[in-house]
Amino acid sequence: MFRALYTAASGMTAQQLNLDNIANNLANASTAGFQQRRVQFSDLLYQNEIMPGSAATQQTTVAAGLQIGLGVRPGATEVIQTQGAPSATGNSYDIAIQGAGFFQILLPNGQTGYTRSGSFHPDSQGQLVTADGNPLQPAITVPADASSVTIGSDGTVSVITSSSSQAQQVGNIQTAMFQNPGGLNSVGNNIFMSTTASGDPVVGTPGGSDGLGSLQQGMLEQSNVSVVDQFVQMILAQRSYESNSRVVKAGDEMLQQLNQLAQ
Amino acid sequence: MDSGFYAACTGLIARTESLETIANNLANSSTTAFRARHNVFSSVLASAHTSGLSVLNQDANDYGVLGGQRLDETQGALQPTSNPLDMAIEGSGYFAVQLKSGATAYTRAGNFTVSRDRQLVTAGGDPVLGENGAPITIVGQPVSVSADGTISANGAIAGKLKVVEFAPNAQLQNSGTSYYTAPAGSAKTATNSNVRQGMLESSNVNPVTSVVELITAQRDVESMRRVLTMFNSEIDKTAAQDLPHVS
Repeated sequence: MFRALYTAASGMTAQQLNLDNIANNLANASTAGFQQRRVQFSDLLYQNEIMPGSAATQQTTVAAGLQIGLGVRPGATEVIQTQGAPSATGNSYDIAIQGAGFFQILLPNGQTGYTRSGSFHPDSQGQLVTADGNPLQPAITVPADASSVTIGSDGTVSVITSSSSQAQQVGNIQTAMFQNPGGLNSVGNNIFMSTTASGDPVVGTPGGSDGLGSLQQGMLEQSNVSVVDQFVQMILAQRSYESNSRVVKAGDEMLQQLNQLAQ
Repeated sequence: MDSGFYAACTGLIARTESLETIANNLANSSTTAFRARHNVFSSVLASAHTSGLSVLNQDANDYGVLGGQRLDETQGALQPTSNPLDMAIEGSGYFAVQLKSGATAYTRAGNFTVSRDRQLVTAGGDPVLGENGAPITIVGQPVSVSADGTISANGAIAGKLKVVEFAPNAQLQNSGTSYYTAPAGSAKTATNSNVRQGMLESSNVNPVTSVVELITAQRDVESMRRVLTMFNSEIDKTAAQDLPHVS
């Protein structure tokens, strides 16, 4: 009875989820390397009351059928892979990826996580770790007496120590790329995990011919959240919620009219 | 029995049914490339006398029912998303999609991704078909799409999207998840459609029209109810209670 009420409710639920997602995007507008998500909606099933093309008479067919749609469902929240603006920090352990690719991070459970947040620090042993203390993979260890650290666009890390004026290489940063980065799984702390949807990571040297972006030392990639765009989305979500609730009210009033019939 | 009573009753049912379509349009106002459906009411001659009815009789028996719907084919606004795998069609065309059953469905929702096995797929995971009727495999980045639907990845041509158009009277049927099915042979190669990369077509639901439809349905129900009450309380009551008193 009265599918319209449930249809409108599905619209309200969908907009609520949309707003939840917008709130998260806006909350992370200042998170380095954060990539915004977008909710994708699709329509639900249709009930066919009259099939288009069914026979109206022996000679003619129905031109337009009668199909009652049953509402909307949020299909996916896709990670939007656009480049965030790089901001110069002057910190030699801040690295931004210009183009596609992710840094590989060894998580405490032994799994590899992926991030675009290139804010690293040397730990007590000189190994480069994230703000949470998880080491960068492959491991890069900076000697304690290093006076300057240079990271090339291809990920080559070289240091000048106090004992030698010659630059010496201490390692290469490699980045990973996914065929469908939109299908990565966010696990918080700027870390993504690979999924069957994203495909297996392709690890390589940054800035090369295999499509991986180049590295920029002393830069940090800001989030790719466009605050203006999110505000517009928020207004749309709000108004759409409102119009769906208007349908609920109209449905309610129609039912009221029907009840008055039986007075 | 009063035929007007049944006419109002049929109208009441038709209006409550029409609310469901309006609700679905509004619920999908954020669905990518959703196309609104508009109710079409039609009259049914309830007592189809072969002999023909008098004008007065015909009017009283011409019941209004919800006859069908019209698919609104107007172009939704194109929204830039800067995602290279988002594609919108400017014009009346549709992308062709291969369903798991092997059948072909059509969609205008171009929020595509690349699957694990590197095929271009819809948000629902079904492969998007190329001009040759086979899925398009995309290896490497960057991906660029030209207006005629040619996709190139990492500088090499990966394939050309199959974009089709339908005649205005084609019987497109919604099958959910933004897909449409069409009778075999009705799809023609598009001539007036351009593919726009980095854009998505928004839903073409017009909030003004929808709210007007909503109010109309609501007020129509109210007036039908009044008519029914009139029959109940005035005419029938008078007939049942007052007439026997006439002596």
